[in-house]
Formats: sequence, structure tokens, C-alpha cells
Amino acid sequence: MTSAPSTAATALTAEASRALGEALGDGASVAALRASGREALDRAAMPSPAIQRPWKYVDPAALELDGFAPLSAATAATSTTAAVDGLTVAGFEEAGEDALGRLGEAVGVDGDRLSALHYAFLQGGVLVQTKANAEIAEPVRFTREFTEAGALATPHTLVVAGANSRLTLIEEYRSGDEPMAVLPAVELLLGPGAVVSYISLHRWGARTRVFAEQRAVTERDAEVRSLSLVTGGRLVKSHITSSLEGRGSSSELYGLSVGGGNEHIDFYTVQDHIAEDTRSDLLFKSALGERSRAVYYGVTKVGLGARRSDANQENRNLLLSRTAKADSDPVLEILTNDVLRVSHGATAGPVDQEELFYIQSRGLTREGAVGLLVRGFLGEPLDRSRLSEGLREEFTTLVEAKLQALGARG
Amino acid sequence: MTEAPLLEIDALRADVAGTEILKGLNLTVRPGEVHAIMGPNGSGKSTLANTLMGNPRYAVTGGEVRFLGETLDGMAPDERARRGLFLAFQYPVAVPGVTVVNFLRQAVNAVRGEEVPVREFRQELFAKMELLKVDRDFARRYLNDGFSGGEKKRAEMLQLAMLQPRMAVLDETDSGLDIDALRTVADGVNALMNENMGLLLITHYQRLLNYIQPQFVHVLIDGRIVRSGGPELAHELEESGYDTIEAAASTA
Repeated sequence: MTSAPSTAATALTAEASRALGEALGDGASVAALRASGREALDRAAMPSPAIQRPWKYVDPAALELDGFAPLSAATAATSTTAAVDGLTVAGFEEAGEDALGRLGEAVGVDGDRLSALHYAFLQGGVLVQTKANAEIAEPVRFTREFTEAGALATPHTLVVAGANSRLTLIEEYRSGDEPMAVLPAVELLLGPGAVVSYISLHRWGARTRVFAEQRAVTERDAEVRSLSLVTGGRLVKSHITSSLEGRGSSSELYGLSVGGGNEHIDFYTVQDHIAEDTRSDLLFKSALGERSRAVYYGVTKVGLGARRSDANQENRNLLLSRTAKADSDPVLEILTNDVLRVSHGATAGPVDQEELFYIQSRGLTREGAVGLLVRGFLGEPLDRSRLSEGLREEFTTLVEAKLQALGARG
Repeated sequence: MTEAPLLEIDALRADVAGTEILKGLNLTVRPGEVHAIMGPNGSGKSTLANTLMGNPRYAVTGGEVRFLGETLDGMAPDERARRGLFLAFQYPVAVPGVTVVNFLRQAVNAVRGEEVPVREFRQELFAKMELLKVDRDFARRYLNDGFSGGEKKRAEMLQLAMLQPRMAVLDETDSGLDIDALRTVADGVNALMNENMGLLLITHYQRLLNYIQPQFVHVLIDGRIVRSGGPELAHELEESGYDTIEAAASTA
């Protein structure tokens, strides 16, 4: 039973989608996906908190998407990347059909209204492509900033990494203080032996609601590394999946959030071991002040064919106030007995009193000891992410600014 | 010619979770002195260590502790540390995400009350690590995280060496150490000890006292010191056990 969403008052109509496609002059790939998104608009329902476990703590109705209108002008991502051999960074409009042939392969129109909306109103798509054996030394970096009140933004990032290529991509998201909704999609397609680090910085405005979908698909021996850093946004929900399809491929998923006010930070992760000899590591941490809330739900899947898998999954939450809250639910689904290791763990609680006493006994004030513990706690995902010194410092500064803002409000 | 005491414990009573553990304990430590407190399980050894350092889980219900002539009553643990008191923990806490070097630097700055220049700090750290036979990459590991028993105790001694306290309390530092590790740790402590410093060794077994020799040995039973003597008392305990002394104490 699907309940048709009310489209009475919404600007997010099939006509609007069609008009947008015409205005943007869609090429064949985008046009096809936009059409299937548009078709799904009428029949696809929002995910249901009662039925779909990843949505247990967020009712998509709370996104109130129907109140938003498509961005009136496509906001191009601003890229700081110079021309480099073996690297293409291009908006979908100029990317060419050959390159866009794999669009939608990792994140498609999958039957719910959110993905339908994403594709029906897709704009601001960026392709990042590396040729085989290209080692891109400098990180590719772009900023996506949205400032149009009441707008629905639908950025899309497609990464196609050639065999044995190396790429670091940093995507920084920002928005203004007005209400906004954003449905980003990120597809990471890794050729054999490719190593891709994808870093997303979620620095959203206080009234922005976000649902981000990220999925990596790895071919043989490829390595995907991902870091999600959340320091702002009313609701930031990310679904992050690594599908380890190629033998010997690996995934490292790391996350780090600092919550304040009544922010809701929500992660659903899937480490999907499909092929043999695959490896995954995951560590998501959040420090939560004021009335903020973190939700973590993650599944490690080890399929029948995924012999000798090695998987680790950890979620840790530090509650900095009595009114902050964390829900944590790491899950294992293992279909083969032949695994190297599958481990998981979850914790949520305030700063440990014995740790505080220990550090204070070395001369640090209580405040200093709490600070050290919180920063140490949050530093671990950054340490594991193998960042350059400059990036490590930049991200630490971002986290620090948020912690100081929390501290200043008491 | 007796110097002013470093530490004076005067009829100290302390509770943990509403149960009285220390029941009127007296002890004075002067500069240059090494004291050992020996006692069976449950006699109050760890309570004494935690109470001296100001662990908020332990409540002082009577008596007083003075350090360098001033009462420690109500003083936070960090204030005690900055005044020169040090506790080597029996069970040091792991602090993932905080490296040994980062932690030590902050602790040293806090205790000395000034920013020690990085170069100077590093030189001192490496010298102390050599003294304690600690690998250099030890400094980059997270504090006590995944450390073996021996590594934890060495990390405690490294902190002792860097913080240079006036008075150090070593709580069961020998537990969990094999004989080589014990010797290394003891050599380190002996090298750090000086005439201005006081040392209080808290231990169940006499073993440690073969390597760090105390001038004074006290027997702690049921929250009180029931006997005090010289090093020979430790040997007596080793031979006859706590039972004899306990029996004597209860009939006294």
C-alpha cells in the first residue's frame, strides 16, 4: 500500500521537474534519471519510521520537504582545483555523455520519495574522474554553499576512479541561516586497485535539514576511505554504504560530529562484504552538548561468498550535558563461518569520572581535563583517517570552534 | 635537626560508598625518607592512596592530612598535584586519543605553572625515557591504551620522572610486573629519589622492597597502622604473614 503524497500545495511537481530539465538542457543520462525520478514522484512514499529501521528516529515528514521549492538557479560548486593530468572535474552539463554513463549506478532511484526528489530536481552535479594509474597528489576540493531560503537543493557528486588511481576529494557543505532542505548524493565508483579518500564537511546552517546518501562500490583490491565531519545543521542524516564487490577490496568509514542546540545528527552505515578477502573498519564518534541528539544505526554484512572477511565497527558517543542523547545500534549479519574477524562495539555516556580524576591528579584543572578528554575522544577518527598534517589541523580547528561555541553558551 | 614534614596524616578516617575503610590512620613522612605501608587485601591501602590524592569517590570523615604544612581538606586533585603530590596508580586509566607526549606536556606545563619550550621538553622527555628504558615510539601512543601491565607501570614512572613531585605515593606499583620490569621500574625510582623528596610505597608483598629500600615499614590492618618498624619488619611479614600480626593486633 503506497499512500500518494499530497502534491496540492507543493512546488515539487512533475511539471517543475520537466521545466528544470529543459532549462538546464539535460544530456541523455541526466534526462533519463530525471524522468525516472519524476515518474516515481507520484507513487513513491516517504520512508516509514515504523517499518524502515534506518528511519526509526527521524520521521521524514519532519523534513517537511513539500514546503520547499527547487533552487531557482543552479548553484555551481566552487572548485579550487587546478588542471591536473589524468583528472577531470566537470559539472554534469559539460561532462559529456561517455563520462556520465555510470551516473546512478551506486545511488539510483530506489523507490522512495527522497531519491525520486533528488533525481527529479537534480542540479549542481559534479563529475570527478581519474584516469587509470593517475595519482592526484593534491586533494580535489569544492565547496557547495546554499543560501536561498525555502529551497530544496539536490547536489550530486559522481566519482569514477580509474584502475590504480589515487584521489582525495573534499566536499565542503554550507548553508545560510534560513530554512533549507538538501538531498545530496555521492557515488564513489572505484576501479581495480584504486584508492579514493572522500571527505565531507557538513557545516550547515542552523535551520538546514539534510538527508545525504553516499555509496561506494569497489572493484578488486580497491580501497575507499571516507570521513564525515558534522559541525552544524538542524538535522543531518547520512546513509553511508560501502559495497565491497571486488576481492581484496577494503573500506574505512570514519565519522566525527559535535552537536549543540537541538541538532540531530543521524548516521546509518552499511559495510557490505560481498567478495572474499575484504576488509572494513568503521569508527563514528559524537560529542553532544545541550539538547543535541545523535543516532547511529549500522550494519556489517558478511555475505556467503565473503570468506576471510575482516570487519570492525565502532560507535562512541560522549554526552556533554544531561539533556543530550545518543542512540546506538551496531548490527552484524554474518552468513559465513569463515571470517578472520568481525567485531563491533558501542558506547554512550558522560565523561568518565575515573578518567577525570586520573588526569586531574597530573595537575590539569577539571575544565582542562574535560577538554583534553573530549579532544582526545574526537581526535581518534581523525587519527585513523591518515590525513595530511594540514587537513588534520584544519579539521581540528573546525571541531574546536564548535566546542568553544558550546562552552561559551555554558 | 628534624626537617619540617612533607606529609602528615593525622587520625585520618575515610569512607567509600558509605563504608568506613580508614579508621584513624597516623603517618609522618619527612624529606629524604622512604616509607612502606604493607597490608593484606581490604586493609585500606588503595583507599589511603586515593584519599591522599583527593579522589572524589572517597570521603574524608575525620582527621586531617597536611602536605607541606597545609591541610589538603577539600582540595581538588589538580591543586594537590600542582603543590607537588604525586600518585602512581595501581590501575592507570586508558585515555584513547590522547598521546603520551601530548598528555605529559600538558601535565608538565600545569604542574610547573609555565609553558616549557617544546625543545627543552622533548630533550627532558627523551632523557627520562632512556632512564626508564622506554622505547621512543612509546611517546606517540595513546596513553595507557592497549598497554601491557608493565608498560602502564612504566608510563606511571615516566610521569613521576617528568613531574618531579616533592612527595610520591606508589600504589601497588609492583603488581603485574615480572622481575625484569620490576627491576627497571625500581632502578628508575631510585634514580629519581632525592633528599628533598618523600616516597611512600604501598604494597601487599615484600618483593618491591628488595629493590627500593625503605627506612620505615608500617603494617596496615583494618584501616589503622598496627605496627611500625625498620626494613626488618618487611622480612618478618614475608615469613610469618599478616595473620600473626593481625591476631596480635586484635588482642592488643
